[in-house]
Amino acid sequence: MLTLSEIKSVKGEAGNFQVEVLRHPRYVDEQKCIACNACAEKCPKKIVDHYNMGLAKRKSIYVEYAQAVPLKYRIDPASCIYLTKGKCGACKKLCPTGAVDFDQQPQLQTYDVGALILSPGFKPFDPTDFDSYQYAKLPNVVTSMEFERLLSASGPTMGHITRPSDGKDPKKIAWFQCVGSRDVNKCDNFYCSSVCCMYAVKEAVIAKEHAGDDLDCAVFYMDIRTHGKDFERYYDAARDKHGVRFLRSRVHSITEISDTGDMEVRYVTEDGELKVEIFDMIVLSIGLESSEQQLALAQKLDLKLTDGKFCQTGTFAPVETSRKGIYVCGAFQGPKDIPQAVVDSSAAAAAASEILSPSRNCLTKAKPVIPQTDVRGERPRVGVFVCSCGINIAGVVDVKAVTEYAAGLPYVEYTTNNLFACSQDTQDALTQIIKEKNLNRIVVAACTPKTHEPLFQETLTNAGLNKYLFEMANIRNQDSWVHKNNPELATEKAKDLVRMAVSKISLGDALEEAELNINQTAMIVGGGIAGMSAARSLAAQGYQTHIIEKADQLGGQARNLYQTLAGEDVQAKLDEMIAAVEAEANIQVHLNTQIANVEGFVGNFKSTLSANGKENVLEHGVVLMATGASPHQPTEYAYGKDPRILTALELDRKLIADDPMIKEAQTAVFIQCVGSREPDRPYCSRVCCTHAVDNALHLKKTNPDMNVFVLYRDIRTYGEKEMAYKKAREAGVLFVRFSLDNKPQVTVQDGKVTVTVIDHVLGRPLELETDLLTLATAIIPNKDEKLAQFFKVPMNADGFFVERHAKLGPSEFATDGAFLCGLAHYPKPIDESIAQGKAAAARAVTLLAREKIFTSGNVAQTDPMNCSRCGVCVSICPYSAPSFIAQDARMNPGKAEINPVLCKGCGLCVASCRSGAIHLKGFDNDQIFAQIFSLDEVIGQ
Amino acid sequence: MSDWEPKIVSFLCNWCSYGAADLAGVGRMEYPANIRVIRIPCSGRMSPKFILAALREGADGVWVSG
Repeated sequence: MLTLSEIKSVKGEAGNFQVEVLRHPRYVDEQKCIACNACAEKCPKKIVDHYNMGLAKRKSIYVEYAQAVPLKYRIDPASCIYLTKGKCGACKKLCPTGAVDFDQQPQLQTYDVGALILSPGFKPFDPTDFDSYQYAKLPNVVTSMEFERLLSASGPTMGHITRPSDGKDPKKIAWFQCVGSRDVNKCDNFYCSSVCCMYAVKEAVIAKEHAGDDLDCAVFYMDIRTHGKDFERYYDAARDKHGVRFLRSRVHSITEISDTGDMEVRYVTEDGELKVEIFDMIVLSIGLESSEQQLALAQKLDLKLTDGKFCQTGTFAPVETSRKGIYVCGAFQGPKDIPQAVVDSSAAAAAASEILSPSRNCLTKAKPVIPQTDVRGERPRVGVFVCSCGINIAGVVDVKAVTEYAAGLPYVEYTTNNLFACSQDTQDALTQIIKEKNLNRIVVAACTPKTHEPLFQETLTNAGLNKYLFEMANIRNQDSWVHKNNPELATEKAKDLVRMAVSKISLGDALEEAELNINQTAMIVGGGIAGMSAARSLAAQGYQTHIIEKADQLGGQARNLYQTLAGEDVQAKLDEMIAAVEAEANIQVHLNTQIANVEGFVGNFKSTLSANGKENVLEHGVVLMATGASPHQPTEYAYGKDPRILTALELDRKLIADDPMIKEAQTAVFIQCVGSREPDRPYCSRVCCTHAVDNALHLKKTNPDMNVFVLYRDIRTYGEKEMAYKKAREAGVLFVRFSLDNKPQVTVQDGKVTVTVIDHVLGRPLELETDLLTLATAIIPNKDEKLAQFFKVPMNADGFFVERHAKLGPSEFATDGAFLCGLAHYPKPIDESIAQGKAAAARAVTLLAREKIFTSGNVAQTDPMNCSRCGVCVSICPYSAPSFIAQDARMNPGKAEINPVLCKGCGLCVASCRSGAIHLKGFDNDQIFAQIFSLDEVIGQ
Repeated sequence: MSDWEPKIVSFLCNWCSYGAADLAGVGRMEYPANIRVIRIPCSGRMSPKFILAALREGADGVWVSG
């Protein structure tokens, strides 16, 4: 990982780039810094903390935030007294590890790489020049990014919302949407920033949760765009449950009420009434844009940009830049939220992997295997190593006393105190001591297992000890650092923690990590755009891939689509894609095929494929669910009563067929949200607004005299799709808004189709006689419960699959070896389906490429003697690890067993087992009880 | 008020609360030293027996977080 670095130049071509990287000095040696904060505590220079959006101060030597990776301090050369004036150097004197190095120089290094992935992010819009909202002048007008810091428990106010002007708790907060987005008057950002609606709703809800119900939150907006998975439900709850007010109005300007810090907001309601409200605080929902540095980087790399100054990519190649071998992901590709950025990042990794796969593992080195000492049956011989961590622990805790105390504990054979237990020389010494003293259990009392357990476990392995014979006592992060004003109590606590650790590990066993071979074949269920995209990526990376398609042809729903927003012919592109899939030797397509049964688990699935009455078994290591979705069949708006009333996909099919009905139409009407955002289907289908706007524009182009109306609730042309909405309005398409409780009425009478809608400006019914009515029908997942059960993957209430993590794991399931992409995850347009197909492939390759995996030793195991076959473990395990042994098995028929490969070691089954028949290795009942029983001494005092 | 201090035993999930307790240290937050943490792999590992055992051992309070 090269931090503080920038690209100076890129030469060469895909597969063989030379990248010149300038590494700026950190002035702190990363190898030596232990992030103890001693330097920052004593640094005399205070400067503005940019991470906290200028709401707090920090020192000149700093770590940006507590979760920073790597957790290493750096010196800001522009403000450091030593680096600017040659005096001070307090940090260098104080650093316990000698990590500060003022002599570090910038370094220019050239790296040979095969591909580049750009993920430079975005810059939050700066509203300083927006004089009407007076951000620069009024302290209580803050940006949404500043408000995020105010809400954060690690922020300048520890999560307590206060007004910047006087520190008072605000009682009324307003959010102004689209500041720096969808605006070509005050700035040049025509596009929608995609994320601001949702973050404003979230900020308002969290603010109310923190401050209580008497806090009034009002969001001023143009369209609420909650088009992400489960976002609409969140919006509904914010409005109906939390009482956040949503006001459709663009506030023109605000006035300060002198000396109070309050602000008067004038706005016009939907009914045209002028209102005045006073707010204590105003949050500007600022948009996303590309920074100057990003644009300079794009120029340096000779990359094409879009109109909105994002990196240009194509609908069918969503992560490829205009230069071969250079890929892009995240907000530089277009404004987007976390799940989409994560999908794109995996997709970019897949794209790079595709061209580099011949070189896979060419730089990998094999680790020597050290034979393990068998300690079974031996009396525990515990070694306790107490770390001083420089002065981080020793400055508070009396480490000598702790070391001496440890020596008197049962089974302890050896104790010592180290200045830095994690340093390389101590690791070497530890290896020696383990061998010399014949130790078989190790306790290290030091920082925290979260960061250092793997390091010490590796040392145990090197010394020939099983790595699970190790326990850590957390005497820094959870002791010396938090009780620095109470050294005596901290020392007592350290003793207790060491005693608890010793008693726990004395009962510990050497644990095995099961080895599992991964079958190198992939199976993809569904041959639509997403499934084919995944298959092509896997095949290009050298993996045998099978596409299982229940229909008689590939293509899925894309078969019904006419053109993309960029004007590409979907059918032509789809044919190209299918031809490529069919020509690929690594892909085998199974049409008219269903899955009849599935056995096995990650790495070793056996699926029975059924086609034309014949059954075949396919063995595969991973499965990708790309099962797609279908259009909702409407029962409202007189659908089916007249041939001129179509669904959106039926219109596309007519466009593909060049039906004369289209050209001859005099008045076309689109009705949006047909079956979406309704009480029994509370989600947004994401694609319909853009689809309707695109088709409306197309109709206008075909026949400029045609009257085109789009009846909508909120227009959700997110990202740069906003341009199409703008163009449609310019082309004369009329947009009429309606609300859920006042939907348009459609009548078919005397050969006429008439739509009646209440016009939101006039407040009067508008009658539209139409000869082309298009209903934007919802996207409904193919709720295949049997298939979900086969692979033990969950579905939500709407029937979409539930991914491992809504933000961080959008393309994989919690169940190992199963991945997902496309409409089965959530409605999405072609580019996002292709990206997620690639993303699922990338996630699958992380498993396939390892060829074999080692499972954790901390897994649950059943004791069949005690198992009562109640099935609680089988039903509650989130990872489907427990199952019943077959009734006809020779050993323990009908009893539960746990597959160590699937078990994540959470212990849910252990705690739930009524018979006490399940044991969690490494965290077994007797070990946790041993810790509890050793509390006795402290509590007894 | 007497200077009596309750003794608290806490069971923290390795993935969230235990990490948060570590971060409290990184942020140099201070809290009373009368708490002893037992790390568990998930709050799902928690069993009522652990709570009863801790109380029986003399703990004044048990805190489970995950």
